[in-house]
Amino acid sequence: MSASLLILIPLLPLIGFLINGIGFKTIPKGAVGIIGTLAVVASFVISVMTFNDFVASGSQPLVVPLFEWITVGDLRIPFSFQIDQLSLLMLMIITGVGSLIHIYSIGYMHHDEGFGKFFAYLNLFLFFMLLLVLGSNYVIMFIGWEGVGLCSYLLIGFWNKNTNYNNTARKAFIMNRVGDLGFLLGIFTIIATFGSVEYTEVFAQASSFSLEDPVIVTICLFLFIGAMGKSAQIPLYTWLPDAMAGPTPVSALIHAATMVTAGIYMVIRSNVLYSLAPSALEIVGIIGGLTAIFAASIGLLQNDIKKVLAYSTVSQLGYMFMGLGAMAYSASMFHVITHAFFKALLFLGAGSVIHAMSDEQDIRNMGGLRKKLPITFITFLIATIAIAGIPPFAGFFSKDEILAHVFEHNKLLWVIGVIGSLMTSFYMFRLLFLTFFGNFRGTHEQEHHLHESPASMTIPLVILAVLSAVGGFIGVPEALHGSHHLAEFMSPLYDAARQANPAGFEPTTLSHSEEYLLMGVSVAVALISAVVAYVMYVQKASVPAPDSAEKSGLQRLVYNKYYVDELYDNVFVKSTKTLSNILYSFGEFFIDLFVNAAVRLTSFSAKMLRKTQTGSTGDYVFAMVLGIVAILFWKLLL
Amino acid sequence: MIPNPNIPEVSIPSVIQNIPLQHYLILSTLLFVIGIIGVLTRRNAIIIFMSVELMLNAANLLLIAFSSYRSDPSGQVFVFFIMAVAAAEVAVGLAIIVMIYRNTRNTDIGFLNKLKW
Amino acid sequence: MYPIVLLSFFGIVTLFLGFSKSKNILLPATLLFLIIALAGNFLEWNKGPLLYFYDMLRVDNVTLAFNGIILLSAFMIFAISGGFQDNPDSEPAEYFGLMLFSLVGALMMVGFQHLIMLFIGVEILSVAMYVLTGSNKRNLRSNEAALKYFLMGAFATGFMLFGITLLYGATGSFKLEQIQGFASNMQVGSESYILYAGLLLLLIGMLFKVSAAPFHFWTPDVYEGAPTIFTTFMSTVVKTAGFAALFRLLSGSFTGVYGFWWIVIAAIAVLTLLVGNIGATSQNSFKRMLAYSGISHAGYLLIALTALSKPSQNAIIFYSLAYSLSTICAFGVLMLVSKEKTIGGQPNEYYDAFNGLAKQNPLLAFVLTVSMLSLAGIPLTAGFWGKFFIFTSAAERGIIWITVIAVLMSTVGIYYYFRVIISSYLKEGDLVKIRVAPFYKVILVLATFLTILFGLAPGIFEGLI
Repeated sequence: MSASLLILIPLLPLIGFLINGIGFKTIPKGAVGIIGTLAVVASFVISVMTFNDFVASGSQPLVVPLFEWITVGDLRIPFSFQIDQLSLLMLMIITGVGSLIHIYSIGYMHHDEGFGKFFAYLNLFLFFMLLLVLGSNYVIMFIGWEGVGLCSYLLIGFWNKNTNYNNTARKAFIMNRVGDLGFLLGIFTIIATFGSVEYTEVFAQASSFSLEDPVIVTICLFLFIGAMGKSAQIPLYTWLPDAMAGPTPVSALIHAATMVTAGIYMVIRSNVLYSLAPSALEIVGIIGGLTAIFAASIGLLQNDIKKVLAYSTVSQLGYMFMGLGAMAYSASMFHVITHAFFKALLFLGAGSVIHAMSDEQDIRNMGGLRKKLPITFITFLIATIAIAGIPPFAGFFSKDEILAHVFEHNKLLWVIGVIGSLMTSFYMFRLLFLTFFGNFRGTHEQEHHLHESPASMTIPLVILAVLSAVGGFIGVPEALHGSHHLAEFMSPLYDAARQANPAGFEPTTLSHSEEYLLMGVSVAVALISAVVAYVMYVQKASVPAPDSAEKSGLQRLVYNKYYVDELYDNVFVKSTKTLSNILYSFGEFFIDLFVNAAVRLTSFSAKMLRKTQTGSTGDYVFAMVLGIVAILFWKLLL
Repeated sequence: MIPNPNIPEVSIPSVIQNIPLQHYLILSTLLFVIGIIGVLTRRNAIIIFMSVELMLNAANLLLIAFSSYRSDPSGQVFVFFIMAVAAAEVAVGLAIIVMIYRNTRNTDIGFLNKLKW
Repeated sequence: MYPIVLLSFFGIVTLFLGFSKSKNILLPATLLFLIIALAGNFLEWNKGPLLYFYDMLRVDNVTLAFNGIILLSAFMIFAISGGFQDNPDSEPAEYFGLMLFSLVGALMMVGFQHLIMLFIGVEILSVAMYVLTGSNKRNLRSNEAALKYFLMGAFATGFMLFGITLLYGATGSFKLEQIQGFASNMQVGSESYILYAGLLLLLIGMLFKVSAAPFHFWTPDVYEGAPTIFTTFMSTVVKTAGFAALFRLLSGSFTGVYGFWWIVIAAIAVLTLLVGNIGATSQNSFKRMLAYSGISHAGYLLIALTALSKPSQNAIIFYSLAYSLSTICAFGVLMLVSKEKTIGGQPNEYYDAFNGLAKQNPLLAFVLTVSMLSLAGIPLTAGFWGKFFIFTSAAERGIIWITVIAVLMSTVGIYYYFRVIISSYLKEGDLVKIRVAPFYKVILVLATFLTILFGLAPGIFEGLI
């Protein structure tokens, strides 16, 4: 494969960024959209060509050196790209979903005055994201890592320059910096241990380490802190829901389909290291499981359409980490792929709804939209079924594979996972029913304005819907008489890890009947939740109470009709509600407490420090002498 | 000139070497510490400055002692440099103090606390 | 060696030029002098280690690289001084003369091979800086800064001298390689104690010059009180020279007793990082914040000294360059902005002076943003690589804990560096036009360009050494 072609993949979005970024005031709107979109589509086409070449040439991973970059002492960091199964899959997702979202944005952002700037940022984001997955060493990955973070903030702050922006941005920034801190420390520990940051060299050397070597465990934990920040895991997750302040296509592209999966990419990329550190993986799995159920339970009660999806994203990322914890790398990647399809679709669908509702985001003010927005409705329905894990749509296969592996690994986590998917199915169907069924609850103006979105928005929806529906067939498990294409394709990635830790890669011991049973359980809980949601929100047409008002008498009457419902309401809904509220405020409270405490501590010590700067020369000299005496005493007399 | 036979011929280094090196070390250190204490306790810029000079001279004394004990002239050469530099510092330092005196009619460092926090 | 001789001569010439009626010739002349000195500097490139002045000065590529950074910084600072035309009370010839002489001192500190050279270099640099700090004679703040700097500087010199004396007493020489030879084969005894005491005192004297905590107290006051142009000079040239000297001293003489001193430097580095970064958060004056930021950067550089591993040398050179470029940009923009917006006749050096800068002059806002990003160590700027190299050097030595602290502190750094970016982009300010002289603009753009270039391809620089 020619290097010149490969370099075009990240270069094209960069060129798009430069053209739109420099000339966004002079280039006409139509041209801006076309330039920005073309750059991404072209890089998608090249990615596909690269993929075909790769498969045709026998799936040999290769490192394409571009130029010598840096030499520090004995450490040599070349600027080179690595082409293998993992980076190719990520490339296809990023450029593929990216292209669709660009097309969508042409319609969605049409009325916005910052149209050119928006496309410039999107292209820049893609450039960094592609750099992140293409780089052949941790330093390039880090550059991309920071770059996508930067673009994410630029785009979060795209609309809300003045309102509360400082606070949100600060929180997001601190959380991500904590993550980046971990990543950086991981890199430096890698340098200290292996004397290199190139994947191939690091992994080759790592294979000679013994299982549970403390250095490897440390590296893995450091790297995982980085992943926690970027992929919004407990306790660094609260920035992601806040990030929903950005335009909806951004939420779809950055905060659902691509950037937030960077953490998973990193762990899979470092699978050799992680396979050598089962105790680190254990932590990864537990954090993932906790995040999955925690975020899902918060999602149960959110009334902002995008907030629900945001918590859902956090929760789904938790599933992926849970899978990684069970060393089911391929299964997690599988879920990354299917999640990219259906979550992008959900966000874009939500965008279409918001567009139609004149920027209304509260689902309590929606309802009955399925007649007015038929395409959006059908695609949204498909995505909902997919995320709920109902066969044969994409989410079923990937989630089921993760859960099967987790079941083998740790039964308790599996239970958590199943409860999580129960909640997932419930809040997603709740969202669907409240938005598209029942009667319209908004204002007359909004009702008058309701319209299906233009073709540039619906075509991406349809394409993504098709992918969400059939995307799962790349990894049909053996038990269902499929052949697992994806797992086979990715299998060479783990050769080194397999040698280092053979026990972790033993084939499944689950019999087919056990697998059927597991599948049956997860499908059953998903269906039950869907039915419950249907009963609650369509049959009884109950609407979540407004933040202040009490339930009306009529509603109470409806409730009282069914004894079962009352029981359900008292025992199940209320307790869940309370739990969910507690968890929500607990999480927010603690994280805010942490962030605020860090800020307070800094400002407090800053105040103390300020007091030492008295302005009097005598005091300064005195402090100096104290310092000198301390040093001399310490080094000469002690 | 004819050397006086009554006075035994002694070179200056050997006179210096009559006193043990430790004594020079202790004396210079004491001088140095006295200088530090002067800087710490005085508030008049000129006296602080004089204390600093005392510190420099403590170093000079010790250098000479080391130099003659080792019969190595480079220590003494250094002393010349130190004296030259100290002279330059005196010039600049007094100029600064005079400048401040003109503006504030005062050389007390306690009054200089506009720049702080 | 050439720049030392040339600049000494040019300094005298500059003083004579001051007699001429036309003051316009001064700036071009001194800039020309600096270019000649720069050219002279690189004449000896790759000529291998050369010794001059009775083996008291060593010229090798490391020396030349540091010299290059110092002369380049000086060139930029001279250029943005605008020849001190706007202040009728100023004495441009003397200022330029003093700065040229102080450069001689800086170059001696970079290349010294003999402790006399080090002492003379430090003093030439410092004495010139005392005068320049107090050059605004009628301004009480400038006076106060000068006196504080002078008294504390002289005090620190005393320690440095006493340290040198003790080193001489222990080893019998002022020469770096002989001290190295002695320190490497030393037996534990009274002499080793004298050597250790001497080393510590000398280090304390030097650490004072680079404003490491707890010897940093003078820095914020002096940086704030001195005229901004000389503050720029202090925070770039003096700091680079100080670190070059510390590096030469420690790597040239004391690698044999690394086990003794590294923990001292490490502790001071950590303290400096804490003081610099935390102190900067509570400042409302941008200039004073930059002083604290200067302290914090000294902390990062001390990490490279702590490690003193293979990458340390290049790390210090690269970091000094990145830091100097960004600092010159930051102070350059500050000078322009504070001149336009005054409070009671005094330049406004507070953060709010930058409100709405992006609308008033987008170029300045961009320059300021890049320099802040670089100081904060955000990727794709030179500052990121500077930090990266420094942390790599620590990692190679196997000291990870210090990197943990440093990275944490750099997070704090983002808070105060981004404050001014937020001021200039998100806050509304009066609509005053800020005019920038073309040459000034060229310098700022050049420094910004280099910051980004080294950020994209730090390898270019690595290839040079």
